[in-house]
Amino acid sequence: MTGHTTDETDDAVQRDVERTASSDDERSAATDGGVESASGGAPAAELDPDAYDPVDVFPGGDLDLREGADSCYKCTSCDTSCPVAEVDDEFPGPKFQGPEQWRLKRKEDHDIDESITSCSNCMRCDEACPSSVPLSQMHNEARGQFVEEQMEKLSVEYIRNRILANYRTSARLASLTPRLATVAMNFGPIRVAMDKLLGIPSERDFPEFATTTFREWWRDRGGAKVTNPEKRVAYFHGCYSNYNTPEVGKAMVRVYEHFGYEVLVPKQGCSGTPMFANGMLKDARRHAETNVEHLVEAIDDGADVIASCTSCSLSLRQEYPELFDIHGIDDLAEHTFEALEYLRIHEDLRGALEDASLDANQSFAYHAPCHARNQGLERQAVETFRDVDGVTMEDVGDSCSGISGTYGWKSEKYEKSMQIGDDMFDHMEDAEGDVGMTECPTCAMQMEHGTGYEIRHPLQLLEEALDA
Amino acid sequence: MAIDSDVLVVGGGLAGITAAISAAREGAHVRLVSHKASTLAQASGLIDALGYVPPTEPSKPLREGPPTAGRNLDRDEWPDPDGPLADPYDAIASLPADHPYRLVGGDALREGLALFDELTGAAYHGGHTDQNALVPTFGGSLKPTARYPTSAKAGLASDDRSTLIVGFRSLTEYDARALAGRLDAGGVPFEVAGAEVEFAEAFRADTKITRIAKALDRDEQIEGTPAREALAAAVKPHLTDAIDQGDVGRVDRVGFPAFLGDDESTAVRAELADRLGAAVFEIPMGPPSLPGLRLEDLLYDALADAGVSFETGMPVVGYETDEDGSIDHLLIDRKGTEVPYGAESIVLATGGLVGKGLDSDREGVTEPVLDLHVPQPSERYEWFVDDAYGEQPYARFGVAADERLRPLDQDGEVSHDNVRVAGAVLGGADVAREKSASGVSLATGLVAGREAAMEV
Amino acid sequence: MDNQVDVVVIGGGSTGCGVIRDLARRGLDAVLVEKGNLTHGTTGRMHGLLHSGGRYAVSDKKSARECIEENRVLRDIAGHCVEETGGLFVKRPEDSEEYFQEKLEGCRECDIPAEVIDGEEARRREPYLARDVEKAIAVPDGAVDPFRLCVANAADAREHGARVETHAEVTDILIEDDEVVGIEIEHDSGPGKRVHHEPGETEAIYAKYVVNATGAWAGQIGEMAGVDVEVRPSKGVMTVMNTRQVDTVVNRCRPKGDADIVVPHETACILGTTDKEVGDPEDYPEEEWEVDLMIETLSELIPALKDARTLRSFWGVRPLYEPPGTGTDDPTDITRDYFLLDHDVRDDLPGMTSIVGGKLTTYRMMAESITDHVCEKLDHEAECDTAEAPLPGSEDFSVLRDYMEEFGIRSPIGRRSAQRLGSRADEVLSSVDPNPVVCECEGVTRAEVRDGIEQAGSDLNAVRLRTRASMGNCQGGFCTHRIASELAQEYPEPVVRDAEDELFQERWKGQRHALWGRQLSQAMLNRMLHATTMNRDGDLASIDADVDFGAFDAGETPAGGSDVGGSPTGVTATDGGRDGDR
Repeated sequence: MTGHTTDETDDAVQRDVERTASSDDERSAATDGGVESASGGAPAAELDPDAYDPVDVFPGGDLDLREGADSCYKCTSCDTSCPVAEVDDEFPGPKFQGPEQWRLKRKEDHDIDESITSCSNCMRCDEACPSSVPLSQMHNEARGQFVEEQMEKLSVEYIRNRILANYRTSARLASLTPRLATVAMNFGPIRVAMDKLLGIPSERDFPEFATTTFREWWRDRGGAKVTNPEKRVAYFHGCYSNYNTPEVGKAMVRVYEHFGYEVLVPKQGCSGTPMFANGMLKDARRHAETNVEHLVEAIDDGADVIASCTSCSLSLRQEYPELFDIHGIDDLAEHTFEALEYLRIHEDLRGALEDASLDANQSFAYHAPCHARNQGLERQAVETFRDVDGVTMEDVGDSCSGISGTYGWKSEKYEKSMQIGDDMFDHMEDAEGDVGMTECPTCAMQMEHGTGYEIRHPLQLLEEALDA
Repeated sequence: MAIDSDVLVVGGGLAGITAAISAAREGAHVRLVSHKASTLAQASGLIDALGYVPPTEPSKPLREGPPTAGRNLDRDEWPDPDGPLADPYDAIASLPADHPYRLVGGDALREGLALFDELTGAAYHGGHTDQNALVPTFGGSLKPTARYPTSAKAGLASDDRSTLIVGFRSLTEYDARALAGRLDAGGVPFEVAGAEVEFAEAFRADTKITRIAKALDRDEQIEGTPAREALAAAVKPHLTDAIDQGDVGRVDRVGFPAFLGDDESTAVRAELADRLGAAVFEIPMGPPSLPGLRLEDLLYDALADAGVSFETGMPVVGYETDEDGSIDHLLIDRKGTEVPYGAESIVLATGGLVGKGLDSDREGVTEPVLDLHVPQPSERYEWFVDDAYGEQPYARFGVAADERLRPLDQDGEVSHDNVRVAGAVLGGADVAREKSASGVSLATGLVAGREAAMEV
Repeated sequence: MDNQVDVVVIGGGSTGCGVIRDLARRGLDAVLVEKGNLTHGTTGRMHGLLHSGGRYAVSDKKSARECIEENRVLRDIAGHCVEETGGLFVKRPEDSEEYFQEKLEGCRECDIPAEVIDGEEARRREPYLARDVEKAIAVPDGAVDPFRLCVANAADAREHGARVETHAEVTDILIEDDEVVGIEIEHDSGPGKRVHHEPGETEAIYAKYVVNATGAWAGQIGEMAGVDVEVRPSKGVMTVMNTRQVDTVVNRCRPKGDADIVVPHETACILGTTDKEVGDPEDYPEEEWEVDLMIETLSELIPALKDARTLRSFWGVRPLYEPPGTGTDDPTDITRDYFLLDHDVRDDLPGMTSIVGGKLTTYRMMAESITDHVCEKLDHEAECDTAEAPLPGSEDFSVLRDYMEEFGIRSPIGRRSAQRLGSRADEVLSSVDPNPVVCECEGVTRAEVRDGIEQAGSDLNAVRLRTRASMGNCQGGFCTHRIASELAQEYPEPVVRDAEDELFQERWKGQRHALWGRQLSQAMLNRMLHATTMNRDGDLASIDADVDFGAFDAGETPAGGSDVGGSPTGVTATDGGRDGDR
């Protein structure tokens, strides 16, 4: 057989080099040279002497992404895919936020338009763009610069956003007294106060905090029950599966052990998703350093990294290499997969499910999270479970759920987030089942909030179907 | 093989979807992969088969040697195109020999359109006749087209009802009076006038079309009045005072920019028509195009219904061949990992220069997925002519194929037995001047899909 | 007849515009005529470099000194036309150290502020420079918008009573009794603003003095007067990149040669240039090798240029002149100095002077010198104040405003608009409501476009030059029709249609030279939008076609049937899918 591969998939070192050298490449280099940037800078890395550094163009060391505008041919596909622009006329859309705004920037006046904070970072624009303009990279970087340089750090908005972005911190505290936290966070007067003082909508219910976190369960169980140096995965559980829905994590472990994998659960931080959306790139970077360190260690031990939350997996695979230049980050990106995706590729999942059946018929209304689309996963659940006896899986359409992580958790955006989710709610009502299904925790919150349905993760269904 | 299928279709546009469904109907297990969203959302939503046969020879000799700095374009360099054509099928024989229609034949076009009719059901019209329809677009001219969505139905030019074209101050896509004036100058058989009304001003200037469509879908309150009612109220005064020629009292139909709702467009149009007492139609526009988006949604639903597995967001970055030159599998980049996708046969429907199925640099034009041969003049300065609307060589660039749509190499031999090529990645057609883009996709998609399924 | 003015100036480039401003400010009754738009000639086709003089510091010290002097003046009086980018003379390892030192010394001799910086500092200031750039000399080069500059000069002239006619070609120099007494011109339309489809008139203008400021065309005007003016036009290419790879003017520090400068200009940057003598300033070849040379050579300085997107290339013609008898072969050796040719003295033909040579940076100084000369001829006493008085638009203005609050437009767009409009920003940006963006690539709102139309008539190229509309990524693909729609407020449909075509074809002219990579995709998308969706090429209003409307599909139901109510008769409104008809 003769093989032909294009340059994009050569090994990691070449990719590093490509990223700093080529302006054709989708992703521009993150910082180099140790200067403070919106994303925190990085120690100098080895660079190709024939290359150049498009860094430090703007005072203060911010990234210059003007060249991303070269790819744009103004087709507005991004604008028409934007769920926020559909309901918010103050929001100019991805085309303006990304390539147009960047192209209009000058070295000495590179103020970002404040509408960047209205972008929910759903990243649907990335998928829509036929020309591979690095839209969400441009948005994330612009938002980071805006929050760093133009936002008033003592404002309510900034403080509230910081709290929302650092969910992990709040969740950790709450998990010390989970039942109390659940009650307190949903206590009327407290919520009204939060709404008025911080701008966190009282309409939404805070998710329950689990009495035993996933990591506690893992520890109590004694860790992995299967040892297999040939088949190892490192589980990136994410904040939510740990503190709120450990049953998802448990399903993951049981399913993977069923297929003979040794599961590792390394030390980890937040994937950064809520931080990107709020322009808190320094916070995201701190967590990224932790994640890279421990996950690369696991990769060196022969593991691939598995995430059950599609936002976590997208963050590790796309935003990390786009925004941060941490040694090893490319390895992490390349070795990260979504939970079902990995099994489809490496196991005969179709075969395993052929004979599977459920005890009782179940109907699900499945919603593909926006972040799943960029990983080619929007049809995965529907197609995987299509032929399982007793399962009816209906796709509730391709609209965004509307919550978009922290977006829907802001009082001033609440109405809009519900308008965006309108279509999804309607389709869920029309669907046969009254159980929802999705991989994304915040989508799950939204789905429940709008319909009252119970929401489950595909891993839980897989666990049941396989009798794992 | 990690991911296996009978037929693997690369490209999620009109050609790819047609090929996938057509292969699935032959019983093959089909998977479709698409890197990004298709160009359907950029297109007007009209389905054109063949509207003109453009001149391929200039009326006077073109310049010899390099372009010159002379300031004036010779307007008489190219003759007028042949058309608008009422019958697309008749004219196929006058197209160049390597045109996709000549390769697959007029019947393939007919069948492709029939499949389209089936997939879109009552959402599209025009299938009751072979004749093209003349549809006014936002450029102010009439476009010959084979199929049009329900939203454009009431606007056909051969329908001689008096017409009001409505425009909005804050929408810059067209000026209603200029549009009406241009239709008039084109000799349309109906009274037409344009008026600018106040409605979109309730939204911020530069609001996206999708915002207005949503407001109409949901019938949101615009300063206290439901949107549909508000829009009708804004238009009503102009029904009578806009037209003062002859003895036309009030218009019979009203044309709007294509933003009349997305999911609820039927209801929106119906309510407007009811309130106005006139038929209502949408004027197809360029991107952002709601009719294009609606069509894309329709086709992806049909794709799912046909049992095709599909995923978007992943580019093909390589391939491996067998000893005999057939493609064994493709390599898909899943965010940094190359995953092999095996198939018995491949359909390449990745698009042309716009859809990014064709790439180029200063040295030449290439087909980046399978490295297929793209015939082209060796000199870059032979890729174009001086009149922007002339016979532009670059417009016909693409992969050459035989009548079974197998790709041909530079010697004219089939380069891969189990590959079929469909849609804009094929060379030989100037779909822009011919108004044939959708037809080429449908006809070649259908044939490619069937052929690919037969390889299995 | 007999409306004799004091002075007629032929040529609306930087020289002509500078002269008419000075003449008018000194109280003379003057007219300027230009065959195309202002800057139709060399001025409109150059890379926009505001010289520090560095480029002449070794070879032509006189020019160099003049440049640095005028550089300072223009920063003062033309703030809204100038971007203070700074400049670098950059040395690569293979470039001569000796020449580097010569350059440095030359700058010092000519009083051009010059600072030597090492490669790292150079890259700190200009990060896209190649890694092996060793060192550089920093000088106060700038970037100027030539059109804005000329328009401002012409506006000032008008404010002081002058008449400025564009699209008015000189067809004859009127001579009576062996003396030049005036000119004859042919208006494209009017006199007044150019409007498509409006017929033009011939007009004779009598003047006490005629100034021939036509640059590369000076020979042609000279011929009409029966005198020899041996201009030696030489062409040079300018390749426009889509984004700014550099924010500083980057020069190669080596003796004169092709492809040695990159000038940032608005949202783009311009690569230059070549130097080849041509016969006809209107008609000469635009060649592939010139474009390729720009990219290949300049990517030695800035590697990103290799793969970056170019929008178009255009060519300009330098109006080089050398006194008879000098006989230089290589056009790069011809002096850039300017010459006043008093035809009374040299050709026994009083009443006219030609001005040839020179450069944009020193236009004001040239204009002063010519105006002094004319005043002498007319025995007119007046002081020149053009170096002190700011040009209209350059009076105090700030780009730092809250555009959203004041005008309802987004900050990046507001800044760009204000930069273009200068002190007129307030007046223009609040003149229209609603004020949507018409050209998205360059951030041009309706207000600015309308303002341009008001000044330029239906000539959308003139509007383009004023506003930068259609000069971005899409090169008019997404905005020519929107710009043309703005004409519809005032002008009838055929005018709108022709104006739109003209702009679209003009944009194509330059794009021809950029047809690869992403610009080729853009060109194809533009073609699809304009030919397929808009059907501009098959527009019944423009082609000769006898259409039998009855032969086409008129709908399933007879006209006037059931479409009131919107749904087709007897057919259910679902499409077989979930959601019904869309």
